Amino acid sequence: MSHLRGAVLFVAAAFLQWWWSTHLSLWGLSPQVLLVLTVAIAARAGSNPGMCYGFLWGLFLDALRPHLFGANAFALMLAGYATGTMRRQMDVVDIVSQCVVVFLLTWGYFLFYGLLGLVFAKTFFWVGWAACLCDPLYNCLLVPFAALCWAWLRERL
Amino acid sequence: MRETRVSNYILAAFSAFSLIMLSLPLSTPVRAFKACVVYLCNPVAYHGAKGVQRLADLPPGMARLLSVDMENVRLRAERRNALWLKTELEALRTENRRLYQALGLKVPGERTALWASVMERDPLHWYNSIMVNAGADQGVTLNAPVFGGKDGILFAVGRVTEVRKDSAIVLLLTDELSSVAAYLSTAAVEGLVQGQGGPRLRMNYLPSEAVLTKGDLIYTSPTSVTFPSEVLLGRVAAVNSRDPFLTFQSVEVEPAVDAASLTDVMILRPEGAAGKGSPSLPATPLPRPTSTAPFQKSGLASAQGVHKSTAPATAQEGR
Repeated sequence: MSHLRGAVLFVAAAFLQWWWSTHLSLWGLSPQVLLVLTVAIAARAGSNPGMCYGFLWGLFLDALRPHLFGANAFALMLAGYATGTMRRQMDVVDIVSQCVVVFLLTWGYFLFYGLLGLVFAKTFFWVGWAACLCDPLYNCLLVPFAALCWAWLRERL
Repeated sequence: MRETRVSNYILAAFSAFSLIMLSLPLSTPVRAFKACVVYLCNPVAYHGAKGVQRLADLPPGMARLLSVDMENVRLRAERRNALWLKTELEALRTENRRLYQALGLKVPGERTALWASVMERDPLHWYNSIMVNAGADQGVTLNAPVFGGKDGILFAVGRVTEVRKDSAIVLLLTDELSSVAAYLSTAAVEGLVQGQGGPRLRMNYLPSEAVLTKGDLIYTSPTSVTFPSEVLLGRVAAVNSRDPFLTFQSVEVEPAVDAASLTDVMILRPEGAAGKGSPSLPATPLPRPTSTAPFQKSGLASAQGVHKSTAPATAQEGR
């Protein structure tokens, strides 16, 4: 992946995440675009790029939030590592299997973020039942979109 | 195998880095790093917000553009009509001057409008005078009539009593020393409107047999020395009870414009008296009031007709 492609992907995904969560959230729910893209990259390019992107996007999310600087970076980096590890065992490039991975990792992400809050801020950061139940499905809907983005980037840049 | 090893190294490095950031959030290196990240990432949100705002502003902007274009078309049409009105006005002015001369009367001098802003208002003399930012350099002369504009209608405000280089003092109609010849629109009687040092005016010397009603509009008389005729002064707020020892009646008058709300005023200056300084505001003609619109807006009075009186007034104006 060229540096240009990487920079474009990073900025475009960060903007998309910010824009969606700011202007397109339905009843306070918005998908974790960066988590879906981290999984997509780790599934196609391996765990190393997935971890790097996940960590940097996590820092972007941490910069927008007031507490626990580093928590999102840690969680997304682990999501990239987990996907990369699963890649060696199963075909995570397939849309259906990737949906399953995203679905499970969304819950894992929420749980891990909450636990980090419990450890470092003495309070469990609970995202709420609505987000906990709906966001995994919401994220699964984005999996085909992430695949399309990846294909488009590989062709154009 | 190598990839797995590298992955493990990256995992260990990023995990250690994350844990340091999480466990030492107030340490100087972490805070510095956070500041760097915020500095680098904030433009995404900042410029994103600006871009989204621009997109959101696009439909109202287009609508405004269309409305401005329509208004422009309307104003162009009005301007074409105004050219004819101007020609007609010039002809009538010339005819008027000729008739004055034929009757052996003194031809009144022509005046132009100058807009000025209120610079200062003395709190101790709130209803007495104001200072405006136009003076001798702008062609302001002593005793020049001063008007206020509100909702496109012109109101008499006072007269210039002191002219300085770049400013002038305007004695308000509400000052005790102010008076102006005026007539009541419906009763067709003339009187003298005098200030009382407060928010209201008093109209004296009204004939004792005249039927006066609350809400009547009061205009400057054609016999007024200072003010042009047919300029709105105010409306009758209350009819005073008749004094058996006086041969005239009086009414309380509510001024058309509150002195406290004045921000810009229009001063009439003799034609050709424009000084070296330019007017502070462009001169804009205001229509003569034909209804009680300004009062209706404040819910004060019912609509009244306008009667044009030509009866002579004997009252004296001025200080």
